[in-house]
Amino acid sequence: MILGHPVRLAVAVAAFLMLALIPAGFDVGLKFDAALSVVWAFGILSIVLLTGYVGQVSLCQATFAGVGAYAAGMMFNTFHAGYVVGIVVGVVAAFALGVLVGLPALRLRGITLAIVTLAIALVFDKYVFQDHIFDWFSGGSGGWRVDGANLLGLPADSSSHLLAGYEVLLALFVLVALLMVNLHQSGAGRRFRAIRDSELAASTMGVNLTRYKLLAFGLSAGIAGLGGSFYPLIAGSVSPQPFWVFTSLQLSAIAVLMGVRYVPAAALGGFFMAFVPDILTRYGHGTFMGHSYDISYDWFSLALGALLIVQLILLPDGVWGDLHGHVAKAMAAVRVHTQRRVRVA
Amino acid sequence: MSELAAYTVIGLGLGAIFALAALGIVLIYRATGVLNFAHGAMGMFSTFVAWQVFYGWVHPSWMPTWALTAVAVLVGLAFAVVLGLVLELAVFQWVRTRPPVTKAVITIGVLLALQSAASLIWKNNQYHLPIYLAPQTWTREVAGVPIGANTIVIVVVAIGLAFGLAAFLQFTRLGRAMRAVSDDPVSASLWAVPVGKVGAVSWMLGSLIAAVAGILITPFINFDTTSLTLIIIDALAAALIGGLVSLPLTVLGGFLLGLLETYPTIWIQSLGFPRLVALLVIIAVLIVRAPRGMPVATR
Repeated sequence: MILGHPVRLAVAVAAFLMLALIPAGFDVGLKFDAALSVVWAFGILSIVLLTGYVGQVSLCQATFAGVGAYAAGMMFNTFHAGYVVGIVVGVVAAFALGVLVGLPALRLRGITLAIVTLAIALVFDKYVFQDHIFDWFSGGSGGWRVDGANLLGLPADSSSHLLAGYEVLLALFVLVALLMVNLHQSGAGRRFRAIRDSELAASTMGVNLTRYKLLAFGLSAGIAGLGGSFYPLIAGSVSPQPFWVFTSLQLSAIAVLMGVRYVPAAALGGFFMAFVPDILTRYGHGTFMGHSYDISYDWFSLALGALLIVQLILLPDGVWGDLHGHVAKAMAAVRVHTQRRVRVA
Repeated sequence: MSELAAYTVIGLGLGAIFALAALGIVLIYRATGVLNFAHGAMGMFSTFVAWQVFYGWVHPSWMPTWALTAVAVLVGLAFAVVLGLVLELAVFQWVRTRPPVTKAVITIGVLLALQSAASLIWKNNQYHLPIYLAPQTWTREVAGVPIGANTIVIVVVAIGLAFGLAAFLQFTRLGRAMRAVSDDPVSASLWAVPVGKVGAVSWMLGSLIAAVAGILITPFINFDTTSLTLIIIDALAAALIGGLVSLPLTVLGGFLLGLLETYPTIWIQSLGFPRLVALLVIIAVLIVRAPRGMPVATR
């Protein structure tokens, strides 16, 4: 069964139903946050694949999401294509760019790859998304506006049917997350893990490094691009700001913070990235003991940096990984305990 | 012809900026094995501390501008030293044995924290007046091209610092200790090198150089919190030309990159195009040099 173990499938469906129904009671701002959190969850999922599974560092995942967003916006506006076509083109464009970025990665790893991908994020932030030469792609200084879009007849306009876009995106996320868990145990997943542990050993065992590294970069970029291509749909427009270089850094930071080897950490991270700053700016002002305070977006980024440092020193496997580890350890302890009792009896 | 000369002067000034920023990266990398993505952010924060002293606070009216500049710069540099020490004590001494990638990701955490703290205090994307170390009005004509005093200062400091640091690492006891710790902390400690102290000194020195670079750079760039942080990419490109090891080659790489980023502006008016040049230089250098040139980088 391609979606994996029936229990896992049931858990995923239950999680989807719960998460799809909850935002119905939210106000517009929080509904947007809910949709945005899935977009960023895709971004973090792409890092789980690339860094957690294959061991390749990348600091330009928001760039892939941005390429997906701009490509979808361009298809919708310039070619008047249906939005589904825009999403497909967005994913394909991100996949292609991912393979392209993967080319230097064939020779590089570790921090040198981090430098290259950071430079790529900066080039797209300052040049491709903002320069007039690329107006055909970025829609000029105003960006693309997406009004009255529908997904194969399902109205999904951001102003009237924001939740429709959210639910489709969430369903796709659950699907991709299940496929990712499955990938980990498939033949390709074993090859990916072999590359992560030692490229030399993997190639000695006959793993085609070129093919699988490029595939990993392409798939990862495609996943980020899938989330990104929904961004114009749920935000109504697309601009460079959400996909600038600091978003890439934040995505990587949150992925590492939450546990870069675990798929559920992506969902946790997406929620963290979309909701926490909005809730901070919304409720984080007032007066406390006579002093007025105002918690702006910068506090989120400040806390994220500090948390990342503390986590890397104390919990190297990330929040989810550490929780997971503790639970597994406790379960094992209980099992050993009960087994002993049985043996004594 | 004089147009080309003018662009050459601009390019060399820009190159000196990159070289200055890159020197600290190479120093910290050689001494601690940490590739510091937060180098620009550290320099930015210290520079803003100096800015705060110079512009933000009320001064006694008898104080002449040069004395005020000196006080501001000294406070900024002192802050940089403390910042380096705090980072070593609070963060990097705990991760000395971790893989280089983990340490690099930690510096990204430092970058995010410093960047957002600075934009909280000094507001993001707001133009700030630069700090001039040399008189702004002083210029000299060389081959029909006016060269400002601040440009001369930054070029001289970049070259002087490169050779000074290289000599320091090569000939002094502390410099040798730094290189020993970088090569292998365990065997260095077996040879009675105080690894902790050397790490602290490296970070203080690196942070100090970042602050010197940041303060000297302010007249030449759009002085806000993000552009000093993001200069890291050009600095890394220059550092990679030096193989993350050689200080004189790093300065040469900085000048080369400065010229390569400036000459296209004769034809292409674009804020983003120089970033593309930097990316191409990084990829070209890494494809040609990696991995032989950087044994530590690929470990």
